[in-house]
Amino acid sequence: MIITIQPADPRPIYLQIMDEVRRALVVGTLLPEDALPSVRQLAAELRVNPNTVQQAYRELEREGVVTKRRGLGTFAASIQMGEKERQMMARELAQRMLREAYRQGLSAQELLAALEAVASDRREDSSEEDEA
Amino acid sequence: MMDGFLQSLEGSPLAVRTTGLSKSFGAKKALRGLDLAVPEGSVYVLVGPNGAGKTTSLRILLDLVKADSGTSEVLGGATGSEGAWVRAQIGYVPDIHDFGYPELAVGSFLRHHRSYFPAWDETYALRLLSEFDISTEDTFGTLSKGQARRVQLVQAMAHRPPLLLLDEPTDGLDPLARDHLLGLLADHLAGTPTTVLLSTHLVHEVEGLGDHLGVLRGGRLVAQLPRTTLHLGLHHLRATIPEGWQSPPRLLEAAIVCQTQKRDISWTVWGDSEELQAQLSASGADLRHWEALNLEAATRAFLSMKER
Repeated sequence: MIITIQPADPRPIYLQIMDEVRRALVVGTLLPEDALPSVRQLAAELRVNPNTVQQAYRELEREGVVTKRRGLGTFAASIQMGEKERQMMARELAQRMLREAYRQGLSAQELLAALEAVASDRREDSSEEDEA
Repeated sequence: MMDGFLQSLEGSPLAVRTTGLSKSFGAKKALRGLDLAVPEGSVYVLVGPNGAGKTTSLRILLDLVKADSGTSEVLGGATGSEGAWVRAQIGYVPDIHDFGYPELAVGSFLRHHRSYFPAWDETYALRLLSEFDISTEDTFGTLSKGQARRVQLVQAMAHRPPLLLLDEPTDGLDPLARDHLLGLLADHLAGTPTTVLLSTHLVHEVEGLGDHLGVLRGGRLVAQLPRTTLHLGLHHLRATIPEGWQSPPRLLEAAIVCQTQKRDISWTVWGDSEELQAQLSASGADLRHWEALNLEAATRAFLSMKER
């Protein structure tokens, strides 16, 4: 699992770390029962405050995404979070897109229409490739 | 109603507290009533333009400079009358990295500092040096700026002091050297309970580490608050306003930076998000963008706000 963050992003860093862990679980670079890097390791690697990493792990534990084992460290939970996590990620992305759309003076309907059009273009493109 | 952005932070135990600290150098006023409060265990980023009084503040804490008036305490000890004890609690990296002894070997430099600190952890110091491929036989004249800075940081951390005072630690470093230095600091913080008071005019470089922000302008603080509060209270908004729009008084009061161009407004506001957004919508403005600010943008806002 590779965790990257954008320190300049106005979103709190602990939320960015949480997102990265969830993403790793969904993508499969982090498997159930896998160990997460230690707080110290991740803080040093990301050049962030160790308390921030601790906060991210604590929140993830509360959500049941990871479990802490005394003296051993933090591990990905044994239950696959697949569908629920995917929904959360999609929701998060939708919120970001919608915010950007409002900023550009576009409505949710306009964004939805464009999203459907782009997605159907891509579907056609890939089916043409299949035929070729 | 939430607190202001200039907070006393009295609620938590403080590692550093100054009240009404003033200092002039000749006709130049370096500090004009500085009330600094650094909570224990925090990484406090003291930011301000060059000449705002950052270095003077740190030097007063070390009793290298005497204040004209006001009081200053470190971990409950007065920095003047209990100066020796206070200095033993501090690891200090000054804002200069070239102190004019190119022949001085790293080993001699560290030995010199070690003699002041009974708690010096030689194993830790040597391990940190070797991680960076610096030998105790290297002389300062042969070190790069980044390497010299690392040696200074090792010197400051090796006795595992409860308080680190870092004056512009990343200034003048190339991106890679800066990155290594910040990694070294983050690693130290994870292993040793430490309060850090770090002064800089390059706040974006320490976005990841800072959890408290103090903004110095003209020798006094214009903002001091935990980052979590900053994140909840300070926002940048963009909105489209109708012809002849008048801002609701509460919103105008909350605004610390206002840019208005025809029907487009770009403001930075301090206050309760929900309330301010509701006020804005009720006034007929069309909110396009509402976003919290990072340390860098917040600092810019606090430095450019009108005097209150």
